[in-house]
Amino acid sequence: MATNRSVRLRLPTIFRYAALSAGAVLMIAPFLDMILGALRTPAEQLAIPQVYWPHTPQWGNFARVFTELPMTRWLTNSIVVTLSITALQIVTSAMAGYALAKYRFAGSRFLLSGVLGAQMFPFFLLIIPIFFLLRFVPLAGGNDQLGAGGNGLLGSYMALILPFAVTWYGVFLMRQFFMSVPDEIIDAARIDGAGEFRIFTSIALPLVRPGLATLGIFVFIYQWNEVIWTMTVTRGAPQLQTLPVGIYLLRGAFADQSTESLQRAAICISVIPIMVVFLLLQRFYIRGLTAGSVKG
Amino acid sequence: MSTRAVSIGEWLSSRRVAPYLFVAPIIVFGLAFFVGPLLFAAFVSLTDWDGLGHPRWVGLGNYLYLAVTDRFFLKSILNTFYFAFGSVAVGVPAALVTAAIIARSKYQAFWRTVYWLPMVTNIVAIAYIWKFVLADTNGLVNRALGVVGLPEPNWLTSPSISMLSVILVAAWMSLGHNILLFLTGLNNVDQSYYEAAEIDGANAVQLFRHVTIPLLMPTILFVLITSFIAALSSFALMLILTEGGPVRSTTVTGLYLYDMAFTDLRLGRASAAAYVLSAIILTISLVQLRLFRRGGVEAH
Repeated sequence: MATNRSVRLRLPTIFRYAALSAGAVLMIAPFLDMILGALRTPAEQLAIPQVYWPHTPQWGNFARVFTELPMTRWLTNSIVVTLSITALQIVTSAMAGYALAKYRFAGSRFLLSGVLGAQMFPFFLLIIPIFFLLRFVPLAGGNDQLGAGGNGLLGSYMALILPFAVTWYGVFLMRQFFMSVPDEIIDAARIDGAGEFRIFTSIALPLVRPGLATLGIFVFIYQWNEVIWTMTVTRGAPQLQTLPVGIYLLRGAFADQSTESLQRAAICISVIPIMVVFLLLQRFYIRGLTAGSVKG
Repeated sequence: MSTRAVSIGEWLSSRRVAPYLFVAPIIVFGLAFFVGPLLFAAFVSLTDWDGLGHPRWVGLGNYLYLAVTDRFFLKSILNTFYFAFGSVAVGVPAALVTAAIIARSKYQAFWRTVYWLPMVTNIVAIAYIWKFVLADTNGLVNRALGVVGLPEPNWLTSPSISMLSVILVAAWMSLGHNILLFLTGLNNVDQSYYEAAEIDGANAVQLFRHVTIPLLMPTILFVLITSFIAALSSFALMLILTEGGPVRSTTVTGLYLYDMAFTDLRLGRASAAAYVLSAIILTISLVQLRLFRRGGVEAH
């Protein structure tokens, strides 16, 4: 009986780790392929058949990306846009989440169902109208009072930031976190004569600091990787392109195989820093994903 | 400060007024970047407009065009469902099995992290990485197949299998997210079920079939439906990986209408197409909501 049991358990154990390892190879191999590809010389890239393992790894390709491609500008844009959106979303989500968790006011139930309902609408439905509404903003980007003649807000950072100022998901997430703040603490502060904003900033907010971190990291990674909207707006405004979008829109001018290594090096730069952020702050990020699947 | 009149500051931070100020930003931005655009898109869908001149009113003409005249619109919807069913059918079972194995293994944090990497990778990088890996002659996959002497399919350039390749990449991409949801579900499962079943002599496969799946059913349903809905509205992967080709074999409705709008500048038709696809997605979402309310799946 004892031998029988150990055999039964050991076989699946080996099988289990073999399966997990095979899966892990499948997950990691494409990334390694990307790094190897970034380290080849143009000659290795063009050889037939193509040389797979670079003879001497061309680490210099990573430096060349900064001199031969507008990498600095892409990085700056990515950082400016991502940080602005993250800050804005934290502020708007925290304020609204607090109000929806801790007050009953005329329209609050309606607003809450609006927040939940809005999350169901697919983003592609909004791309076309927002694009043209931004273009017709009066007196911006060369437009006249009627919004005609110029490009409106499309040529500015505003076009990349403002449409993402509010995240319905974030409002809901923050509401969940504020629900756990006990009413007694808030009532006690009221009795002490504190105004509602004082209570919000100095009592409620510090209590949901982990929630703010979760939202912040979640939004940061999400927006760093945002492509569709940024691409739509910056096709005509190269000075605003972010890192992933810049790499994508290069393809026409940059597609021959000899420069593929540079393109892959650029891809590495767009991926690796964000992975490091993720590895360091994993637990906050994960909470952002799982909390959303819990309905309150 | 007089005793009778309340200062403006006090009035603003009173319990009656403050909540409205707290929600003011989401109302302003919600009107400007959600409600307004939705109405504008509805209007545009009833017109013929190229984005420059004046929109010309055509009533339901665009919807009729999509339903009757446009040969490709229905095909794009079929492609969309092919992609959604395919990526869910491949991705969700793979994630479930992997999560079940991880949950009963050592070094969980390590395995989880490995499977989560694509989750934080931007879509351009994912598409390009796979474009290289699946390339006809120089790609890693076909090199490996060549070494073993197997046939080397044209993963991305043959119309008959291009959608399958996109589905596999999408499944790879979403694996980590689904594993995460399943692991959360598995952690809530009472371990004593497993102990009892093991004492009764159940093997690993039996445990998975008769303990894990039934106990995890609510999570499985949730992941299936939300993945399906997300897949219906996604098109970035096709846009970058295959540009909808070859011969439009991977053109899903989202991509079709995006090109219609920003390449052909047929904004009326594109908006109508966006509303049709959104109506499909919203219907499925509402069915899902009802289903889960009734099923009493409060954990999800």
